[in-house]
Amino acid sequence: MSAITLRLKQTPGFRVDASPLLPAKLAPLPVAEIARIVLPAGNESCLTGELFEISRADSETAALAIDGDVRWLDRLGAHLGEGNLTVHGSCGDYAGYRMAGGELRIEGDAGAFSGCGMGGGRLTITGNSGDFAAGTLPGDMEGMTGGTLTIHGNVGARLGDRMRRGLVLVGGDAGECAASRLVAGTLGIAGRLGAHYGYGMRRGTLLLTQAPDRLPPTFTEGGHGFDVFWSLLVRSLANEIAPFSTLRATSLPRRYAGDLAVDGRGELLIVG
Amino acid sequence: MDINGTLIDDTFAEAFPMKATRLVITAHTPVWANHAAQSLTGFATSVIGCGCEAGIERTLLPGETPDGRPGVAVLLFAVSSKELAKQIERRVGQCVLTCPTTAVYSGIDPATSRAPLSDRASLGAGLRFFGDGWQISKMIGQTRYWRVPVMDGEFVCEETTLTVKAVGGGNLLLLARDLDAALAAAEAAADAMRALPNVIMPFPGGVVRSGSKVGSKYAGAMASTNDAFCPTLMGLSKKSELTADVGCVMEIVIDGLTDSDVGAAMTAGIAAAAGRGNRAGVLRISAGNYGGKLGPYHFHLHKLAGDVVGRPG
Repeated sequence: MSAITLRLKQTPGFRVDASPLLPAKLAPLPVAEIARIVLPAGNESCLTGELFEISRADSETAALAIDGDVRWLDRLGAHLGEGNLTVHGSCGDYAGYRMAGGELRIEGDAGAFSGCGMGGGRLTITGNSGDFAAGTLPGDMEGMTGGTLTIHGNVGARLGDRMRRGLVLVGGDAGECAASRLVAGTLGIAGRLGAHYGYGMRRGTLLLTQAPDRLPPTFTEGGHGFDVFWSLLVRSLANEIAPFSTLRATSLPRRYAGDLAVDGRGELLIVG
Repeated sequence: MDINGTLIDDTFAEAFPMKATRLVITAHTPVWANHAAQSLTGFATSVIGCGCEAGIERTLLPGETPDGRPGVAVLLFAVSSKELAKQIERRVGQCVLTCPTTAVYSGIDPATSRAPLSDRASLGAGLRFFGDGWQISKMIGQTRYWRVPVMDGEFVCEETTLTVKAVGGGNLLLLARDLDAALAAAEAAADAMRALPNVIMPFPGGVVRSGSKVGSKYAGAMASTNDAFCPTLMGLSKKSELTADVGCVMEIVIDGLTDSDVGAAMTAGIAAAAGRGNRAGVLRISAGNYGGKLGPYHFHLHKLAGDVVGRPG
């Protein structure tokens, strides 16, 4: 295997689709061939070699690193199935779109639709993310269906819209309508919440480590006796970001059930 | 072969392939975990009449269980995947779901299992219907759990349990001078075997006095008394393998996840029983087989006892 590094050479004046840049696909290719990979850009296209200086080194796993601020680069890690893809800088929209495995790490901010339709693997964003993270594309029935999405900073509106499975952890604040139409899965938010969180939430878990200003009117007291599940959840978060990693099994959160306007089997867990 | 005056017969135990699983039962306290485990493994001495053979493998400390509570590991063995799945669902449903504070998890780790993996048997996948629509499915990592509302809170269980291809029917026959000597030898052997992982001795106390042979003079009886080792039939049964000094025979049946687990348990049992020796009334150690025609696993006593060291003098 090999580790490929793409160092930003010049910034195009348009948005570029990075979905062909997958570590396992690039790993066996010589540098010259990688340079000739065509990247769609709307009605235009460009070559990888026109945008990046390409270097490679031996590695035990398929790895791809992109050095530079590439906010114009969309669909990074789209359909990623294996290998490691790291961006040393910020990237555009649809990062990790429908990724199924492997690891995508963005050491900066990401645009909208991060982890949208994601089915597996691990997506980490050390900065902020835009709207519809872990959500669904308009017209699709399901958002994220598996894997782990970790956003260290803040996230925009409609986090986890129609999400069905998987784990999303947000270290900062979330915009309005977080966990909207949530089908299932686990969402953890450490910061403040925008309006209308849990709107249309059918099942799933919304874990808050900071008490919200107000509870949605369509949520009700969720009762007691969920300590075994809480213990399993807390133990599964031990290696994730703080404050989720610091939760204790012995300290039960308050539980509310909702959204009663729909299925009502979702749960809102408020720690502290 | 002779260890401390105890003769080790030049014979072998014959064992069979089975399907098995390990369940980890946890509870609020060790007492309740044990209640559930005892109940689940009750009436599970022989597949002949119980559907499965089951027993407690060991108790688990809170640090060893998925939810950090005290627990018990139990092993269940059956003749087929279908029968095993049936027994798991029936027994967990009646004995664990009903027991206060318990939760149940699959206990076979596919990464470390030395037994060949088989398939997954339903655990919560069927029991969830007890929730009458209030149950909640939850994926944590790659594992799906079911949370079924019950009167003390929630019954949490994994959706399925991993099963393996295992070995059942390893055995030792302990021939002693009298009842007390036979019981003491059998108890010592069973205790030594319980200290080992991946095995259970499914009979009461780990010991069976009604050793059986295949078939019967009566049509319809699958098994009947092992007349070759019944002391009251000495001189009557043509197949008797007892000598006049043998007053009592006890058998220990061992089921294990692999043949090496069964072999290790048999070695431990031989060492414990023969360790008491002839002076304690342990005259012979033998094993049951069917001429090697029925079971693919043959545990030769001389080979297993090869490393067992007797007392000097």
